[in-house]
Amino acid sequence: MIGGVSNISKSNQEAEGINLNPNAQKCLQQLLRVWLGFERDLSTVPLLRRIDLGTYTIEDHLCLLRNLRQQVIEGARWITRAASSFDRNHAEIRSTIISHAVDEHRDYELLEQDYVASGGKIEDILGMERNIGSEALHGYLMHRSSRQNPIDLLGAMWIIEGLGEKMARSWAERIQELTGLTEDSTRFMSYHGHNDGDHMLRFYAMLDEVCVDEMATSSIVKTSKVVARLYRLQLEEVEHGLE
Amino acid sequence: MSVYITSTGAFLPGPPIAVEEVEGVLGAIHGKPSWLRVQIQKSNKIQTRHYAIDKNQQTTHSNTLMATNAASECLDRSYISRDKVGMLAVATTQGDHPAPGMASMVQAELGLPELEILTAHGICSSSMMALKAAWNSLRLEEHEAALVVSSELASRLLKKQRYEAATKSTFAEKSVDFNTEFLRWMLSDGAGALLLQNRPAPKGVSLRIDWVRGFSHAHAFPTCMSVGSAGRVDDERTWQDYDTYADAETAGALLMRQDVRLLDNILRMGVDGYLRLAEEGVSKPAEVDHFLCHYSSHQFKDKILELLDAAGVGIPEERWWTNLYTRGNTGAASLFIMIDEFLRTDEVELSEGQTILCFVPESGRFNTTYMQLTVVKQ
Repeated sequence: MIGGVSNISKSNQEAEGINLNPNAQKCLQQLLRVWLGFERDLSTVPLLRRIDLGTYTIEDHLCLLRNLRQQVIEGARWITRAASSFDRNHAEIRSTIISHAVDEHRDYELLEQDYVASGGKIEDILGMERNIGSEALHGYLMHRSSRQNPIDLLGAMWIIEGLGEKMARSWAERIQELTGLTEDSTRFMSYHGHNDGDHMLRFYAMLDEVCVDEMATSSIVKTSKVVARLYRLQLEEVEHGLE
Repeated sequence: MSVYITSTGAFLPGPPIAVEEVEGVLGAIHGKPSWLRVQIQKSNKIQTRHYAIDKNQQTTHSNTLMATNAASECLDRSYISRDKVGMLAVATTQGDHPAPGMASMVQAELGLPELEILTAHGICSSSMMALKAAWNSLRLEEHEAALVVSSELASRLLKKQRYEAATKSTFAEKSVDFNTEFLRWMLSDGAGALLLQNRPAPKGVSLRIDWVRGFSHAHAFPTCMSVGSAGRVDDERTWQDYDTYADAETAGALLMRQDVRLLDNILRMGVDGYLRLAEEGVSKPAEVDHFLCHYSSHQFKDKILELLDAAGVGIPEERWWTNLYTRGNTGAASLFIMIDEFLRTDEVELSEGQTILCFVPESGRFNTTYMQLTVVKQ
């Protein structure tokens, strides 16, 4: 899917073939600002700031992977739920979302392998509960995707896929460099860079199709803001226990 | 109350220094040519720049003197007498003295009596801070004219002796310390000045200041460009916390550093700020006739172009104008030196009502500043 503004130059080249309608264009600009603010605010999350400062450790990596797994598992669920909530007037977008879900719905297995390759015990990651932020994010996304024709979830995809691309672009290699871990420990992160081009085109096509008035724009943008905030909450909570 | 830039001036010390002469001026550290110089110079594409130090690294012009020279040229070209200037605002990264503020020193050199002064301290965007304060004081009708000067003397921080003295620094420990050496091949010296008045100049071109805006993101990001700490995460001391200044220097706390990994963020925040201004309707990309963008290196130009285009607020490359490649990256002074030459160059024909967008991003701790000017001809 789309890489937020993080892979913005690529997105533009590939979007050249698509002429977005004026509402979709306006929506895209607002989504870019939400993304840039989200990306900036990630720098305030203590664990991620350590990537910036160069003090990120293997323990940090294990902690991050343990916490991401639930999000990835739940991600496959809300996206399939969203697909089933689109009626026959939205068959095209439903097809797109179904095929996206097929691409990614078992990504958590990759993440489990990364965890073991980083020196973690498989039972630790399998036994990890959703953290407080994951609960909030999951609850919100399941709620939104249960509504009829939940086009606002394009805003959620924008943030989540953008983050996937950011992990590939600026985290994976840096984490290897800082921890001495190998590619085997960051496959989940790196993998998200690969399918980006295709996903981008699909995202633009969906946005052009559903974002046809101001109401659609504002619902997509609002959901992107909520998801950005809850995703950051999830990342802020990675170092907090559940006690 | 509209406020206009009615005169400009610039001062660049000494002769233009070509790419291959740079190390001869700043000095080869321990007599060894740098491994990084060519690589960094190739990507910034700066062909000539000026230094206020000579080949023995002795200062030829103080920062105060450069600022004064630019200010004098600006006043000499203006249509008002010096006593009409009610405010002097001076911006620099580092004045000649840690105290008092540089505006005091420049005022004294210029011999301007009893005016209001302001010293803006920062890095590149300090020029915009000073300019905004002066603009506002005229808008409040406190003064009829204000002089804004920005001046930089970076070479004193970049000369070989600074690095040679830092015997216990990251620079001394590593075979290649990119972050500590990067700016050595980027920055150079110079000064620029603008005269602001509450009416256009009686002849020629004036620039009406439509708005000046800034967005700082220091609350979120770590420091990216700085002087004053040793550049080690586990050492929170700043230069005055050491027992002696000599200790601070040995530790490398007086070297200028750039965390190059974080640099991309300033481009992103720059685009974010512009999207915000476009969203507010303050700036309309299609109506920008000339874009004066302070980018520190050519490598960032393409990135800014791409990012703005992709965000749907692109400004075609033929509307961009800069003199970075011949005057160098003079930090806070860059924009004023750029405006001064832009008004005189034959490359551009200015016509009444044209819009000029200025953008000065500062990587220090991520401040982005913007200004719109409109051409007024008499």
